[in-house]
Amino acid sequence: MIDFVFLIISAVTIISAIMVVQTKKLVHSAIYLAGTFLGTAGLFILLEAEFVAWIQVLVYVGAVITLILFTIMLTRKGEEE
Amino acid sequence: MIENAYQLIVYVLTLLGVYEWIYGIFQSFGIDYVLQIIIVFVEIVILFAFVLVTVMFLTWMERKVVAMVQSRYGPMVTGPRGLLQPVMDGVKLIGKEDIIPAKADRWIFTLAPFIVFIPALLVFIPLPFGKSLIISDLRVGLLYIIAISAMSPVALLLAGWASNNKYSLMGAMRAVAQDISYTIPLALTAIAVVMFTGSLSTVDIVNAQGGTWFGIIPKWFIFIQPLGFILFLIASIAEMGRIPFDFQESESELVAGFFTEYSGMKFAMFFLAEYAHLFAVSGIIVTLFLGGWEGPALPFIPVQLTSLVIFLIKTYAVIFFAMWLRDTVPRVRIDQLLNLGWKIMVPLAVLNLLLTGFIVVAGVI
Repeated sequence: MIDFVFLIISAVTIISAIMVVQTKKLVHSAIYLAGTFLGTAGLFILLEAEFVAWIQVLVYVGAVITLILFTIMLTRKGEEE
Repeated sequence: MIENAYQLIVYVLTLLGVYEWIYGIFQSFGIDYVLQIIIVFVEIVILFAFVLVTVMFLTWMERKVVAMVQSRYGPMVTGPRGLLQPVMDGVKLIGKEDIIPAKADRWIFTLAPFIVFIPALLVFIPLPFGKSLIISDLRVGLLYIIAISAMSPVALLLAGWASNNKYSLMGAMRAVAQDISYTIPLALTAIAVVMFTGSLSTVDIVNAQGGTWFGIIPKWFIFIQPLGFILFLIASIAEMGRIPFDFQESESELVAGFFTEYSGMKFAMFFLAEYAHLFAVSGIIVTLFLGGWEGPALPFIPVQLTSLVIFLIKTYAVIFFAMWLRDTVPRVRIDQLLNLGWKIMVPLAVLNLLLTGFIVVAGVI
């Protein structure tokens, strides 16, 4: 059961990590990066490290992704070609 | 000892005498974990139904409170006292055309309303509705709530960006600026409460507020932390984006903020998320400062039921306060809001934390 969940979460994490560098649009990359961070948090939960998992969500998904999205939106002109 | 809703369901099934039978069937196939998954699924369905009904009731209540303040009747035609009005609204919204703007990012535009709704629903997991009426008593429940709430600005930003509309984008930018600046006092005041309980678990926080001083005053944290309570209340109303602080959708400046371009069911998802968030945040305020489900127990009635009723009464009192505030206070300006957040609320929250530290170390309470 735990192995099965581990496989699913790892697959999601790795696939979204690959998609971060594969997609053309920067905002899509940022969303996939959020998926990677959430997957990592899921792996921490499987290791019964709840505190680390939710700090991961708070800092990376909450703060870092917001920062990245802000940056992308403020430099949006160069993307439209 | 029943600790959460899962054990409560098992206990009720055992009382009915069917649990052993069902468990036996699953065990004979060697898949007893499937039964656990089914029970968790039942919990999710009950929670989801509860949230939907609550949201429908809250939209009706909001209209009634606005009408009461403005000396009107509000919705009266559909159902008794207009109670079926939310159902009609839902039917109308389902029937509407689902418009996607030509230059919008279709994929994110469709996904964003659901990403907005998921955190609003996930916050309910460690919320104690009553004694043992909790989906899961996480050891880091309060941190979980703060972390999940921190995910919602990302979704708002995506919704605003994907619409490809300047009003949407400005609304989203304002929503995120507001969310970030008010999460800090919110977390700092929550930490002050945690310093008293020594635990992040919501159940431990409620248990710490049981009993009374001198037999009259309940041991709620609002009496130990009056400054913290006021800061938390203001910060959570700002985080919800309700009227004195509703810059994300201030209709006189930004049409409707980040959901300007949304219609039909996607618009309904934003609405659903907003009211689910209102209930969740009021529940968190009750849990942290107003004693949660602690209250008088009645004889012959299961404690789960009385505690649920007490929790709902307190939560609806907080919700009523938020609606009342909406009808009484005009909107402030965005620079005033950010000044209030960074120059007044954050220093006061730090001061509150410092005083709490002294009190805890001195061991006065």
